[in-house]
Amino acid sequence: MLHQLLFMLSSMLTRRIAQSISHYSVNNLFAKSLLSPREHYTTTNVPISNFQKSLLAVSSAFTAFFDPSRGDMIATLAETTSSIFLNKLRDEMLRDSKGRQILRERPIINSKTIDIPNLRTLPEGTFGKEYANFLDGEMVTPDTREKVKYIEDEELAYVMQRYRECHDFFHTLTKLPVSVEGELALKWFEFAQTKLPMTLISSVVGPLRLSSKERTRLFEKYVPWAIQCGSQSKLLMNVYFEECWNKDIAEMRKELGIYLVE
Amino acid sequence: MIDKNLYDIAIIGGGITGSALACALVNSQKTKSRRIALIEFNNMSNIREWKPPHLQFSNRVSSLTPRSIQFFKDIGVWENINHERIRPYKDIQVWDGISNARIRFNSDDSISINKNIEAIAWIIENNNIQHAILTKLAQYKDSNIDFLENTTVKRIMFDDVNYENEQFDLSDWPSLELSNGKVLKTRLLIGADGINSVVRSFASIESLGWDYNARAVVATLQVEPQVENATAWQRFLPTGPIAMLPLNNRFSSMVWSTTPTLASKICTLPSNNFIHLVNAAFRLRIADLEYLYSQLENCDIEFVKEFEWRQSIEKKAGIGNEIFPPLVLDVQEKSRAEFPLKMRNAESYVKERIALIGDAAHTIHPLAGQGLNQGLADVQSLVKVIEHGVVTGQDLGNIQLLKNYSSDRYLSNLMMLGAVDKLHKLFGNDFAPIVFMRSLGLQVINHLEPVKSEIIKYAMGIE
Ligand SMILES: Cc1cc2nc3c(=O)[nH]c(=O)nc-3n(C[C@H](O)[C@H](O)[C@H](O)COP(=O)(O)OP(=O)(O)OC[C@H]3O[C@@H](n4cnc5c(N)ncnc54)[C@H](O)[C@@H]3O)c2cc1C
Repeated sequence: MLHQLLFMLSSMLTRRIAQSISHYSVNNLFAKSLLSPREHYTTTNVPISNFQKSLLAVSSAFTAFFDPSRGDMIATLAETTSSIFLNKLRDEMLRDSKGRQILRERPIINSKTIDIPNLRTLPEGTFGKEYANFLDGEMVTPDTREKVKYIEDEELAYVMQRYRECHDFFHTLTKLPVSVEGELALKWFEFAQTKLPMTLISSVVGPLRLSSKERTRLFEKYVPWAIQCGSQSKLLMNVYFEECWNKDIAEMRKELGIYLVE
Repeated sequence: MIDKNLYDIAIIGGGITGSALACALVNSQKTKSRRIALIEFNNMSNIREWKPPHLQFSNRVSSLTPRSIQFFKDIGVWENINHERIRPYKDIQVWDGISNARIRFNSDDSISINKNIEAIAWIIENNNIQHAILTKLAQYKDSNIDFLENTTVKRIMFDDVNYENEQFDLSDWPSLELSNGKVLKTRLLIGADGINSVVRSFASIESLGWDYNARAVVATLQVEPQVENATAWQRFLPTGPIAMLPLNNRFSSMVWSTTPTLASKICTLPSNNFIHLVNAAFRLRIADLEYLYSQLENCDIEFVKEFEWRQSIEKKAGIGNEIFPPLVLDVQEKSRAEFPLKMRNAESYVKERIALIGDAAHTIHPLAGQGLNQGLADVQSLVKVIEHGVVTGQDLGNIQLLKNYSSDRYLSNLMMLGAVDKLHKLFGNDFAPIVFMRSLGLQVINHLEPVKSEIIKYAMGIE
């Protein structure tokens, strides 16, 4: 863990320096040109300095802790702390054919792009049907995700967006519930997969809100599973979920190296 | 009869350093009366009659420093160079593949460099240099030099035989047994026979160093026409540096050191994919390159599409605003070749009656383009020492005399070897703190003009 943290810290510094020294210019025009040709994941892009980013990160971490209902704050925390790691995540996608296809096509997940009524008609056991069951069971829709702000780079903004949009697919595949415990377990799983700091930070802060029984279960059952399964399975960001509706979900788990927590 | 086979100086190896040494010795008033043999394994007629092919360049080129050029001027070789095929450059851009941190050297900007300096270095085909040396040597036909081509030195020995009618004791002169059956005796034996020097092994001089787990791929590239193609570019990738050197406004030469596995795949890649792999290696993210590496054997994927897509994304993100080398449009047929990379330094350059020069004495990673320049500096130094020996009437094979040569060159070569080796190691690392430190270092140096001037002067041979 210490190793990971040190690694993060140093990559963060590296990136900082690299950005400031490589004339990596923040293009203000981005805000206007963010409309992707394919889809409207229109984001309000606010160019801010690294210092401001750190301030935002710290303050949103506090807000998230004291007021868990402020979903926007959790999102802000993620964006400001993770631009370095989004780069890493994008690199992982760039190394993979499917990841590249996703980056190139920039598919969007919402109720307009995905025909959910049709997914409901698929046979039981298919990924599409399981996903529809999940949405119906939890009474959520794919439209409730925070919009991406504060990320100037158009492609990185997309990676963040995609990461959020895939969250419910992760639930579907791992069968983790939308409870505090389930979410935390999923965070650890995502962390093992992506090393994104947002997942790490909330997994450290989050358990303080659990009862001691829940906490014991989290650390003795879920976390070991999440770390094991998350680090050995294929990076889920490189899965083109939209092509998998008809796949047998058990088959899919096997291909991806995912097993369920007992 | 026997007389004929006695020489003052026998040079083994007629590569650039060996033939340049011969040329300098016959050109010098002080040494021209010595009997010299130059022995080369290859037939040199191709190079002697070299007709530069129109719009084609050899893949073997060298970057020659002002100091090396001056030396060629001094010994009358420079006038025989085909000047249409050389390219001076005043600008060097070096950057980090991971962080993109850059350092730029420009001889015009450097405060402490003489403003009359024409260039930091010149890119010249090895054939062009060698042709010029051979042309010069041909003018000395009637002098005391014997150029034995197509001849291998099979064995070197001390045979203890003293020719009866000799007034000198020749028993400690090395004898050379040649492939044509002749045996020569020489007062001074010079090893200019490259990295696997027979002279060095004969002298039982150890060669210290290691092989890099890397190979260099060279190629002649046709590039987007430039108004002035006069910058040397080098990007440090985690697998090794890739360099592009200007030949003229439409051609550049590439040296890409990388892992042995990648090197052989890069050499055999279909040329349309190769071109865009090179473009990617200079411009795209390391992750993109790694993806392309994984697809080298996949004939279905068009690298051009990958390159253009990523290029457009990077441009939008503002990274494409940096200046990059010209885009590669084509690769000259059959110009791709690979070489092993080694670092070696002989434990000593001299022994009684023996001296080593050039790659026989030391071999360096080509990332700083210094190997041949070091060899030519050896030649200059050795010529001075031999001249001094002649003037003061010493035995040219005397170790005390030869030590002047090694003490002049050894440390200086070792320092260059060490510096280049450290650079190679420093940049062959992708551990984040090291990337951070080196990027910081590059940036800091880039803003310290005096330090930069010193580095560039060192690289130019103005020590
Ligand atoms: C990819 C690459 C790029 C390079 N780029 C540069 C650059 O930009 N700038 C630079 O300065 N240097 C560069 N170098 C290094 C440079 O090419 C060498 O340092 C230089 O060619 C060495 O010259 P040499 O005469 O000492 O040895 P060689 O060129 O190796 O010559 C040795 C000669 O000896 C002959 N020989 C060997 N054994 C015998 C024998 N037993 N009998 C008779 N003859 C024999 C051989 O036939 C050969 O002709 C580069 C090297 C590589 C691999």
